Amino acid sequence: MSRSDLNISRWLDAHSDRGAGLQVLLNGAVLADVAGDGDHRLVVADVKLQPDTRSRLKVYRGTLLTSDQTLPDIPSAVITFYPDNLEPKVPAVGITCGLDLLMYKNNKPYFKFSVPSLPISALEDEVWTKFKHKNEHDLTQLVDSLKTVPYNTLTSRSQKLLLLKPEDAADFVDKFKDKELKRYSPITCATTLQRNSSEWNSVSCPVLATEIGQIYILDPQNLSILHQASVSVSKATPSVIRAIGLFDVEYRILIATREGLVCLLRRGWLEGRNVLQATTYIVDMVIMPADNFIILATMDKTLSCYSKKGSKLWSQELKQQITCLTLVPLKHLSMTLIGVGMKGGSIHLYRTRHFVDYVSIPDTPSSLLFGKMGQEDHVLVTITTSGILDIKILKRTADFNLTQQSTASNPILQNKPLPLPKRSKLFLEQSARERQNPIEMHQHFQQDLIRLRLNAARALVQSQGDQTGVGNDKELIKLSAQVLGLGPKFTLILNLENMNGDKALIDLTMIFHCKSSIYQLSHYVLRIPLVPPGLIYKAEIKVEDVSSDDFQGQNPVQSVKVFCTRGDDTHPILAATINMPPTDLNII
Amino acid sequence: MGLFQKLALFLGIRKKEVNVLVIGLNNSGKSTVINHFKNDEDKASDIVPTVGFSIERFQNQNLAFTAFDMSGHGKYRDLWEHYYKDCHGIIFVVDSSDRLRLVVVKDELDILLQHPDVCNRKIPVLFFANKMDCKDALSSVKIAAGLGMDKIMDKPWHISASNALTGEGLNEGVEWLTQQIREYIVNNKF
Repeated sequence: MSRSDLNISRWLDAHSDRGAGLQVLLNGAVLADVAGDGDHRLVVADVKLQPDTRSRLKVYRGTLLTSDQTLPDIPSAVITFYPDNLEPKVPAVGITCGLDLLMYKNNKPYFKFSVPSLPISALEDEVWTKFKHKNEHDLTQLVDSLKTVPYNTLTSRSQKLLLLKPEDAADFVDKFKDKELKRYSPITCATTLQRNSSEWNSVSCPVLATEIGQIYILDPQNLSILHQASVSVSKATPSVIRAIGLFDVEYRILIATREGLVCLLRRGWLEGRNVLQATTYIVDMVIMPADNFIILATMDKTLSCYSKKGSKLWSQELKQQITCLTLVPLKHLSMTLIGVGMKGGSIHLYRTRHFVDYVSIPDTPSSLLFGKMGQEDHVLVTITTSGILDIKILKRTADFNLTQQSTASNPILQNKPLPLPKRSKLFLEQSARERQNPIEMHQHFQQDLIRLRLNAARALVQSQGDQTGVGNDKELIKLSAQVLGLGPKFTLILNLENMNGDKALIDLTMIFHCKSSIYQLSHYVLRIPLVPPGLIYKAEIKVEDVSSDDFQGQNPVQSVKVFCTRGDDTHPILAATINMPPTDLNII
Repeated sequence: MGLFQKLALFLGIRKKEVNVLVIGLNNSGKSTVINHFKNDEDKASDIVPTVGFSIERFQNQNLAFTAFDMSGHGKYRDLWEHYYKDCHGIIFVVDSSDRLRLVVVKDELDILLQHPDVCNRKIPVLFFANKMDCKDALSSVKIAAGLGMDKIMDKPWHISASNALTGEGLNEGVEWLTQQIREYIVNNKF
């Protein structure tokens, strides 16, 4: 391998498992030191939606699958956090399944948290108590009364009842009427928030968001609720949640919702505030660690950046649909890149809005992760929609050519002032005049500009219609023609110029072509004598129009073709068509 | 070199001193390999990740080795190239159970072999396919193939599977290295 080969990609293909068969949702995988031995592993919640299969929790150590266990329900998110400061430090893995957060430690389940039930409307409660005691003929009436309650405040049991056909309703009610009525909202996304230290392995709290827009911050040790808040005043269904800061000091939780809102929740707030409203659906969101900028990927193939207050800083339209985002923190280069996974299997890396690198993978990525895996710090893990697990390692020597790029693409940050000349008296007078009559000057300028364009266009038309000045750059000869006379007798004057500075033209022949029914020429072949360098040879040909009057009318464009050939070569070195003016006998 | 020293060297009274560079990725077992060759009283019972580098001395067959035990951590790998010039042999330790990072090892090896201080010298390279006791360890043949060692034509190289904790395979490798360095010195000095 040569040195140039090494520079082609900044990434090493460590592993690609086409048969992994992983189905992962966004944020459905994490990299964590789950065994506490410093060897970071990949934890994946493998979602299986088919009715006869169970979702699984899989742990990969390097390239090998080391643990595989079934999950009770379909997982929505995977998080990892250190629940305590006890040595040895072993992080817990939290999986949100339906209503529960399941905690695993050392690959064993050890704790479970269920989101609290929600209040039930009085009417619904009453209806279900009546179901217990009353007969079946009241059923339709009671079901109709349920319809008066807003649908989204009903329990899932009543919701299902309303969707059933009337004949199935009785069985359904019989089956469930003795069970306690409860209303829950499932967990849609989760993240972690560090509690009191920003060390990477300090204690952090799980943060859960439910479908109706409740946020729960949990105590990592006993899973009690430390803080509860709602996402927004309006209806908002969280889809992506990110937290930064420290729970005990100050924190910001940003929630992207299915409605395209981004809401902010800060310490002590019971209700989130809308920070921004995206124009379309939000695919994924990440928060830049240094300046808390919000990076949003939306359905319209756009990557946009907002300040923490919600004002748009930049947006970049990409060629493909974005499927996932990840932060690529590179401490040794003191920067953070944004990894953008796109449909079709390419991952682009952006440094703010500037494209720096790309990685291609076999298929559309469904989840992207960058971090420490095994002993290696800079590992990019991709799980694709078709279940391929792909692991790439960033080369130690990769520097992303930052020094070159920052100077080339950022004129605002130029340190060197441009070498401008000093302001002359003329310049000052001119600028004074410009300030006095700006409108007239602008109009004059525009007029002149239009005139210039018109002249240029005219000249172009003329040169295209005009046969004078046909040349051959390679042979350095030029032919120009002039037609004299009104007809039927014309004189054609041809100027053959030798543009070559040090070589004479020899052995040239000029051949004329025309329709013998229209024109008769004095010569059809003209042998050209030696033309010395830089001089012009002038030839004169008599042309006579021999056509009848009615034929002229039919064919107004009549031409004579001229070819220059060298020696016995059949290819002309120069060819020209001379348009002859029509013979106007009326004038004569 | 003084006349007396030359004479002493010629007679084999004075030991020849050679420098070897011990490199490899972090957690591959470089310090543990070196620890094995130290005298019993100097041996460390607990090996911690090396920071920067450390210098160890040991002897083998009348050659006094000075081993530069380099740190294999990513941020210290830039240091390696500063020691290429003065070394007589290279020991490259590979963690044979770390399949994921075999590509990283290959990358580092390529960088090493293309370095101007190494590529033009016939410097012997000894590979230890360490941690052979691990159950998912790759064989030394597989590692040699994975690292593309068959393409190393201009340098003598040798790979031996080893277990630095028990010392298995280490002596065999170092004997090969001693032999090569002897030849190297003879060919270059006289």
